[in-house]
Amino acid sequence: MIELVVNGEARRLDLDPDMPLLWALRDHLGLTGTKYGCGIAQCGACTVHLDGAAARACQLRLGDLAGKRITTIEGLHPAGDHKVQRAWVAQQVPQCGFCQSGQIMGAAALLAATPKPSDAEIDAAMAGHLCRCGTYQRVRAAIHAAAQG
Amino acid sequence: MDRRHLLKAAGAALLVPVLAEAQQAPPGSPPGPPPTAIPPGESPNAGPGRVTAFLRIGADGRVTVLTPILEMGQGTHTAHAQIVADELGVPLSAVTVEVAQPEGPFRYTPVNEQYAGASWGVRLIQPRLRRAAAQARAVLVEAAAQRLGVPAGSLTLAEGRITHAASGRSLAVGEVAEAAAALPLPEQPRLQPAAERRLVGQPVPRLDVPAKTRGAAVFGQDVRLPGMLQAVAKLSPAHGAAMAGFDAAPARAVRGVVDVVPLGTRGVAVVATDTWAALKGAEAVVIRVEAALRAAARVVDATYEVPALAHAPLETDNCTVRIQGDAAEAWAPTQHQDWVRAAVAKGAGVAPEKVRVHTTFAGGAFGRRLMVEVAEQAAMVARAVGRPVKLTWPREEEFAQGYYRPAHACRLRAALDAQGKLTGLWFRSAGQSVMGDYRPGFMARGPAILDPFALQAVTDTPYRFGAFRSEWVRTEGPAKSWLWRSVGGSQNAFFLECFLDEVAAATGQDPYALRRALLAHDPRRLRVLQTAAETSGWGTPAPAGRHRGIAFCEIYDSPVAQVAEVSVERGTLRVHRVTVAIDCGEVVNPGQVTAQMEGSVAWGLSAALHEAVTLREGRTEQRNFDAYPILRMEEAPVVETHILTTPGVPVGGVGEPGVPPVAPAVANAIFAATGKRLRSLPLLQHDLRA
Repeated sequence: MIELVVNGEARRLDLDPDMPLLWALRDHLGLTGTKYGCGIAQCGACTVHLDGAAARACQLRLGDLAGKRITTIEGLHPAGDHKVQRAWVAQQVPQCGFCQSGQIMGAAALLAATPKPSDAEIDAAMAGHLCRCGTYQRVRAAIHAAAQG
Repeated sequence: MDRRHLLKAAGAALLVPVLAEAQQAPPGSPPGPPPTAIPPGESPNAGPGRVTAFLRIGADGRVTVLTPILEMGQGTHTAHAQIVADELGVPLSAVTVEVAQPEGPFRYTPVNEQYAGASWGVRLIQPRLRRAAAQARAVLVEAAAQRLGVPAGSLTLAEGRITHAASGRSLAVGEVAEAAAALPLPEQPRLQPAAERRLVGQPVPRLDVPAKTRGAAVFGQDVRLPGMLQAVAKLSPAHGAAMAGFDAAPARAVRGVVDVVPLGTRGVAVVATDTWAALKGAEAVVIRVEAALRAAARVVDATYEVPALAHAPLETDNCTVRIQGDAAEAWAPTQHQDWVRAAVAKGAGVAPEKVRVHTTFAGGAFGRRLMVEVAEQAAMVARAVGRPVKLTWPREEEFAQGYYRPAHACRLRAALDAQGKLTGLWFRSAGQSVMGDYRPGFMARGPAILDPFALQAVTDTPYRFGAFRSEWVRTEGPAKSWLWRSVGGSQNAFFLECFLDEVAAATGQDPYALRRALLAHDPRRLRVLQTAAETSGWGTPAPAGRHRGIAFCEIYDSPVAQVAEVSVERGTLRVHRVTVAIDCGEVVNPGQVTAQMEGSVAWGLSAALHEAVTLREGRTEQRNFDAYPILRMEEAPVVETHILTTPGVPVGGVGEPGVPPVAPAVANAIFAATGKRLRSLPLLQHDLRA
């Protein structure tokens, strides 16, 4: 039995301790906003916050998460109105949208640690987030806009 | 077919470009006003207030647009909503867009099937939606006139209300929708003049964006049904090799694994209570393969080369199927509803009419989601285990089993007169066919058999070369080939546009001036080229260390020119900026045209710099993004888009035409920077140090 806090709620999971958090979220907790894209930490689509920092849910073993605080896209803001989410709407960032939960979680973690990031800091923090639709220019603009707002 | 094509066809050896035209105006669709009436009999899209085949209007005034086109990221549904809201006279907020169940009015494609492709999500649906909305407007007004006892001509419909100005009385459209649905549709409804449009032509924010920023949009991968099991595919690892047998015991030993279901000779699906257990089980299954593999094609004596490419949408292929009695339901992020229906019917052992297809958001499509093998497999598994099943292809299978843009080689020769003027061009490419295996009926049969996409953007180029001969040689290979965003344009623009740069360099001409001369007869295309050149500063000094390259291409009725600005420092390439000019005819949503140009540049640049699928012993060597890198944020250039319109030119394609010019514009800029002429992709395989 593994106890952890997901989006502010205490959860007890009787699951394989080797199971990556990604599948516990998607298949057992119904939190499908966190996406499966590669399974090997190459695409960033499964990014969540682990105790406030960005982490790839496909690489987090449930057995290592006892007592940890996990935030997913569904828990980033109670009304989906986090400044990063607002900036994403204002800049019309998403195309297919599949990578955007991960992009937003990555950007929110970046801004929490670095409130006014430079382009180079954005590149460094977001390099692990692949977008096949090519929304990078708008991701960058939205991060700058959220930093201003 | 116009005269230009005929003349070119007459001069070509292997060339009968009849079906290239199919992408522009599908043969088989009626020349006059398209059908919008509800077909007789039981309809899978039936519902209250269905005024025309394309529109349902609820008593609450909600307007549901039924469309054949999925939302795969291009804002297509928002464009549909804009068109209908304007033409009908309702607020945009009242409109919802839903992908229709496969049915006659939505099968307006060349082969009477319901699918999305060839950048036609707006351009082919727009006249039908406009007509349907105008008809709906007419019958709503007529129903209101009957209710109020006044002449229809005395009523106006705006903002969802039908008003009798003389008496001040009004009705909401929802109040008369059911009565309107019983009225006959006018054959020639009044279409709204351009001056009255409030939404079409405006950069309206996308309807799906808020949900996509909250993790709330449901992709195929996110479908959940009561009692559903998770399955993942483990397929024969070699292209063209059938599974000879498998050992399921190690998979069955994994906690959570429920079953291992064979998928014919393609492989197996491991079914489990969750995806993690299914993935572990799939890893444990041993698949035995027949030894005989077909040999890969070998092409020699080529001037230019491009590799095979994978679509690699970020959402891997998947389908969820529920079978109940003699009926089945499928949830799929698909571009092709009719093929999913047929595939599920086959896999589930039910009649096609008994299959409902629910089209979800797609996490990228790019042509990949016209392929529906996963749907048949999901149905086979659901049938075998007697429970609803979602079958997911893991990323490794998505790469290994891909339907690739085929590798091509191309030789070009140019004839020049004494003054260096181009007097003739010979283009000869070789590669696998994209249509030959899955759409043999699309192959054009003339003096020889031609894949209509093989010479896309070549036979139909607006350039005038003088004498012009284009040929294509079909090769065979073990891997599957299929449509990849911008299809033949993806390789042919690289071949032709880099080669034109070579001609310019060999004759001491400016690459832009050379292209101007080739388009001098065509003001619309010339303006596109000129806009890209002038807005990028062509002919003026570039910022220090930067160099420019230019390219032009036209597919799906939208000419696009691009100028890439690059630097190469100590062998390191950086693409700083790409200036794009497009004339896509009438514009429904300029915001989305701009977004598609940005995305197309990223897509084209990703392939140009990085991407290649290679085979070894019949198997794909790249199994995940570590071995198949795609463009990353730090490599993304600034994209500046200029949208042109030409009065009287209808809506052109937008999703694909921005892709082909990227690779040649960048390669030509590299030549300007280094003097190195790179004749093969991906570009980063070449050593750029001086």
